[in-house]
Amino acid sequence: MALINLLFFPGFTFLFMCALFFEWLDRRIIARFQERVGPPWFQPLADFIKLLAKEDIVPSGAHAKAAALLPMFSLTAVLTAGLYVPVGNVVTASFEGDLIVVLFLLSLPALGYFLAGWTSVGVYSLIGGHRSLLQYFSYEVPFLMAVASPAILSGSWRIASIAAYQSQTTWGALMQPLGFILAIIGLIGKLKRDPLDIPKAKSEVVAGSLTDFSGRKIALWHLSIYIQTVVGIFLLVNLFLGGSSHQSLFVALPIFGLKALGILILLSMISVLYARLRIDQLANLGWRVLAPLALIQLLVTIWSGG
Amino acid sequence: MRCLESIAYLFPRIWRTLARGPQTVAYPLSPIDLPAGYRGRVHIRAELCRGCGLCVRDCPAFGLELEREDRETFRLIYHPDRCAYCGQCEESCNFGAIYLDNDFVHGTFNREALIEVLVDRKRTNK
Amino acid sequence: MNRITVPIGPQHPLLKEPMAFQLTVEGESVIESTLRLGYVHRGIERLCQERTYVQNIHLVERVCGICSHVHTTTYCQGVEALLGLEVPLRGLYLRTLLCELERIHSHLLWLGVLARNIGFDTIFMYAWRDREIVLDIMEDLSGGRVSHAVNVIGGVRIDLTEEHRDTILSQLDLLDKQVAHLLGIVEHERSLKARTQNIGHLSLEDVRRYCVVGPVARASGLNVDLRRDRPPPPYDRLTFTVPVHEDGDVWARTWVRMRETVESVRLCRQILTLLPDGPVAARARRRVPAGEVISRSEAPRGEVIYYIRSDGSDIPARVKIRTPTLTSLITLPTQLEGVNMADVSVVLAGVDLCIACADR
Repeated sequence: MALINLLFFPGFTFLFMCALFFEWLDRRIIARFQERVGPPWFQPLADFIKLLAKEDIVPSGAHAKAAALLPMFSLTAVLTAGLYVPVGNVVTASFEGDLIVVLFLLSLPALGYFLAGWTSVGVYSLIGGHRSLLQYFSYEVPFLMAVASPAILSGSWRIASIAAYQSQTTWGALMQPLGFILAIIGLIGKLKRDPLDIPKAKSEVVAGSLTDFSGRKIALWHLSIYIQTVVGIFLLVNLFLGGSSHQSLFVALPIFGLKALGILILLSMISVLYARLRIDQLANLGWRVLAPLALIQLLVTIWSGG
Repeated sequence: MRCLESIAYLFPRIWRTLARGPQTVAYPLSPIDLPAGYRGRVHIRAELCRGCGLCVRDCPAFGLELEREDRETFRLIYHPDRCAYCGQCEESCNFGAIYLDNDFVHGTFNREALIEVLVDRKRTNK
Repeated sequence: MNRITVPIGPQHPLLKEPMAFQLTVEGESVIESTLRLGYVHRGIERLCQERTYVQNIHLVERVCGICSHVHTTTYCQGVEALLGLEVPLRGLYLRTLLCELERIHSHLLWLGVLARNIGFDTIFMYAWRDREIVLDIMEDLSGGRVSHAVNVIGGVRIDLTEEHRDTILSQLDLLDKQVAHLLGIVEHERSLKARTQNIGHLSLEDVRRYCVVGPVARASGLNVDLRRDRPPPPYDRLTFTVPVHEDGDVWARTWVRMRETVESVRLCRQILTLLPDGPVAARARRRVPAGEVISRSEAPRGEVIYYIRSDGSDIPARVKIRTPTLTSLITLPTQLEGVNMADVSVVLAGVDLCIACADR
């Protein structure tokens, strides 16, 4: 049973399918917002297979082993994080404090991304790597403080308990709207989506850290970013939208899916509505606006809850 | 307040756009409506052509070629692969013989296959 | 801090046409930039000396892929002056109508490029979608989306029926609405302003020193527009304002261009309502009398200058083209000094480079 959980539902296969589906949906929604048609449903899978089949080039001077290991490292981190995030009423592994493990695992790809830029030879990769690190410092603190609030409110650091607490009282997003907004912004920064796609801004640094990657490696990178999207969205559903703890899986899962879709549409909408920020503007926003707000949110939560 | 003003333009429009649906035309699969005056392939009313060669002289892309033996024996040859679809030949023709239609798709792997003899005038026996 | 050299171009996602930059970057700020041009040099000026005056109309149309019509207009204007030819008024009006439509098309295209460079794909899509309206009008009118081939020496080739005029007027109504909407976004959208304000600043002195023309000059407070200062025939009967902004940054240029688009729509309407009757073209001789002429007109990017010298044959002895992009290119090192790496794309978009024009 544990093995099935690990490999199929809600483990790797499920996450993989979700990643492809969310990627397609995301691109489709954005396209529709912009008067375009968008890709057909099999496009993410086709892209993935095509990239797997393509020639794998490592530029001379780049660190070949690092280039091979880093995408796997990121993918491993986000897949592992996926194990501790409940989907519907199912969770592969759960223990007191798993929220902290998930947060840690979700921030590992940022490190991998930075190292990927650092070990490449291109200047675009180098700049992209630097930017990803700067961006990490800007969004991570408010994000952590924002997701800590529901945990403090429910008195547990276990994701499933937080979700369960919220399904008995009200959603975290209603109790802590500020925290929810901060967490969404943090998630956008984490996923390097528009408008915070600063490290991979196409018109500035081509593709950031991933400029020199090709073939299988870029396929794994893309996969890890999309699985990170899925896990991040699932995490926010659990922390702020009360998860879904209905007895029957067939009721719990659609409810959970709808909530996840809601967050995905929100993310797509934000990426349509804003221009990309500059890195210093993001740092300003992160430290002058988001971090104090998150701190206030955290203090209010502690004061009122405890 | 300024924040609201900031998204007041784009926010309603994205939802309107979503409701209206995409505006893309799946071109090779669905037809496009080209205006009748769209400049495409060169045609000729061969009976009006007198072989004066003005179109050949004015063509900026050397897409027309006149092989002339004498006043009444000539061939006007059209090379669509060189044609710039500017319509200068139509403009230059004093007899209204040349006209353009709106057919502009002539993809091929063989350039020779495109070449067309517009006028092939043989000496008429008197 | 280490200095690194970042190459931008000849191929780079932010460039739509080939040109090369070497940016010396310290951290994220640009210390120095060098520019290399000539990747799309096609030898058009020399080629003009090989072709007849008539063939050259279509050759100079291909100098630029965006402002193609204004190049032929300036060229024909020059040749007509050499011939001493009086162009019928209706021909001039139709010529100007296409000039103004082309300005709308160029500015909307430019807005899309700017939006793309600051990662604002939605505006990119919307601006280009609205540009399709203009392209449709032009396609109906001339038979081509970008290469109109409308001008002949002595006038234009196209004519307009009454109902066609009404169709265009109704399309202009729609366009007016959409352009007003885009102007609203430019004036109010904060993330767009955050990325474009106080960037690529050019002072009025710099503008004068580098002889910058067009919207870039007007955005720095230099109130210059050939259409108003030396109005060629139909413009002296039309009313329009020339938008000028004092700020001199990329946002000011955006604002100036979008205001100009609004004005152009107005101008198109006036032209269509005032359109006089009569022939559209006068007949021109093929041999042009010896002499030389300088012909100027206000292109979407600024003033285009043609110098044409004739030796009495049907082939020009010299055609020299000065495009507005050249003046903007010279200012780039000044504008790029000290800007953030991320703003390089904004600065490059801001001056609206047309490399094909500059290289010819």
